Amino acid sequence: MIEFLSTLIGPFHAKMLAVLLSATQWTVYLSLTAFIGGGLIGLIFTLLRITPINWIRKFAVAYIWTFQSVPLLMLLFLTGLGIPIFYQVNVPPWMAATVSLTLFTSAYMSEVWRGALQSIDVGQWEAGRALGLGFVKNLRYVISPQALKIATPPTVGFMVQVIKGTSLAYIIDFNDLMRWGKKIGNSQIDGAEPFIVFPLVALIYFLLCFPLTLLSRRLEQSLNIDSNKLMLTINKGG
Amino acid sequence: MIDLRFYEIWREQIFVEKLINGIGTSILLMILGGIIGFIFGLALATARGSKIRFLRIPSATFIESVRNTPLIVQLFFVCFGLPMIFEYRWPFFASALLALCLNFSAYYAEIIRAGFDNVEYGQSEAARALGLGKNDILAYIVLPQALAKVYPSLVSQFVFLFLTTGIISEVGVEDLTWAGRYIADRNFRDFEVFIVLTIAYALLSVMFRGVLTATGQLVFPWYREK
Amino acid sequence: METCINLNDLNKWFGSFQVLDSINLSISTAEKVVICGPSGSGKSTLIRCVNALEPFQSGSVNVCGISVEKNGRNATDIQRRVGMVFQQFNLFPHLSVLKNCTLAPCRVLGLSDDEAGAKAMHYLERVRIPEQASKYPADLSGGQQQRVAIARALTMEPELMLFDEPTSALDPEVVTEVLDTMVDLAETGMTMICVTHEMGFAKQVADRVVFMDEGKIIEIATPEKFFSEPTHERTQFFLSRVLG
Repeated sequence: MIEFLSTLIGPFHAKMLAVLLSATQWTVYLSLTAFIGGGLIGLIFTLLRITPINWIRKFAVAYIWTFQSVPLLMLLFLTGLGIPIFYQVNVPPWMAATVSLTLFTSAYMSEVWRGALQSIDVGQWEAGRALGLGFVKNLRYVISPQALKIATPPTVGFMVQVIKGTSLAYIIDFNDLMRWGKKIGNSQIDGAEPFIVFPLVALIYFLLCFPLTLLSRRLEQSLNIDSNKLMLTINKGG
Repeated sequence: MIDLRFYEIWREQIFVEKLINGIGTSILLMILGGIIGFIFGLALATARGSKIRFLRIPSATFIESVRNTPLIVQLFFVCFGLPMIFEYRWPFFASALLALCLNFSAYYAEIIRAGFDNVEYGQSEAARALGLGKNDILAYIVLPQALAKVYPSLVSQFVFLFLTTGIISEVGVEDLTWAGRYIADRNFRDFEVFIVLTIAYALLSVMFRGVLTATGQLVFPWYREK
Repeated sequence: METCINLNDLNKWFGSFQVLDSINLSISTAEKVVICGPSGSGKSTLIRCVNALEPFQSGSVNVCGISVEKNGRNATDIQRRVGMVFQQFNLFPHLSVLKNCTLAPCRVLGLSDDEAGAKAMHYLERVRIPEQASKYPADLSGGQQQRVAIARALTMEPELMLFDEPTSALDPEVVTEVLDTMVDLAETGMTMICVTHEMGFAKQVADRVVFMDEGKIIEIATPEKFFSEPTHERTQFFLSRVLG
């Protein structure tokens, strides 16, 4: 592979590309972990958010509001620099990055999912209740299937936000695509100037993100969902 | 065990000055970036929905490129890459502002375009029936209604973007995040500093949302949510 | 009498579906014509073709001495001479009632704000709603909104007025106020084509009633004849349904 690239773009650029692609795997791992972890926590908070019990709901609202209002960069600084220094503990960059991105993802995911649940017509809840379904069964059999359909495209779309978000983790020395891109871009080596390296890095991010953007759009069309309506619902809540 | 020393942050006058400066810079960047980005975004959205391929394809490419790559990469490209290509030397503030404007414009364009698509067909039809021309219909009928419809989304996007702008401290723009890092590098109270910064960002985003929502009610007094 | 509208062998398709099938209709100046028929019969499409809001595939449409081009290239020439009132009012929600009425005169006819404002107030008085001039459409009742829509169309001083089911979206109790406004308008000698199911209005105002079904004109008659002795079976069936 590298030999082939070498003949194509020269040995130096082939090596550079190989380094960047190898760093990309960490970007992918971090994205996937944050997406899955954030999704699970987000799901829990979505459910807490709609429980009939008042104080639990308020707690969930506070959680979502907090982590939506905190810049991801600050989360990274706090977990990667603040906590280690304050508690005199060693927090490896990957752990700080994972925790930060997971919290960030969970807040936004539960907001999207709450929007999806809320966009279901009140009549559906009432119809379910009229059939004698309790809250849980109503949610399980009547509301969720409809909400799931609405929530899928923006969920896939949010994956793009997560991937882009991981690019900030280099700031606490997480060895991802961005970190290596910056290293090479700053190296002052001929052939690795910023106007070559950063577009290349951008291209790699684009190749990770754009398919997801397309998939999200395709789902939106095939499921016939008005994402604008959902957007507006979400924004009203936020 | 918990020994929080927030006073270490305002221990020295220079720290306080840097913080206040940083807040001012962050707000200024957002105002300029918000306005210029909005104007770019409007142009992009119009070009994106145009029938002319020469306008549509480049604008769509730009929008997708920006939306599918991280801000930080765009920032480094605009601040370090572009100056080498064009052999200009702007102050980093200007380069960073340019990067922010380009970034904002792509997100705004996508929202505004959704607004265009959502104005009821009957509106432009009624305008046509009155004999209004294409440009008048766009400017007087479709645009104001589209903007009113997507205004809440624009505000949310603005606040979301605000929370991502701290990264411009990386290129030496002395914004709020930069001020925090400056202080933390000197008093070694990273934890307290970033807690204060976090609260400052949250408060500023609440402030932005409040001011923008109030502005919206002034600009679109006729708008009723359906 | 002078001819205002002349439709000659007009055909229109939506894809493979023919909405208008060899329409021939001539309407004189100051004439009032009511078009009725079951939904999907092409009556709305017909008057939208008159206003060049819809392109058509063959035949000719001649309005106010201008031949409408099939692709709608000279549409604005027609539209500034023809007023139209829609089922859903289609008032501009972001403009006050007054601005709704002055926008087109200012932008299309080039009137000054004052001239357009004076003219708008004149027509708002005519539809008996001048006190609402500074309100937004959303603050008005449906009947008031539709009357503003009529005033808005009149401020362009059109040579003829088209009404596309103007009372169908209204609450029953306000239908009369809109119909009364239309009757007033008819008495001024305006040329009018109304797509409506209000048979009382047709009896009172129309010079001729046109019955359409499946894209074709089935019957054209004076109201007396149309209601008392409709010749066509489909007309009889339709009337029995509408009149109950």
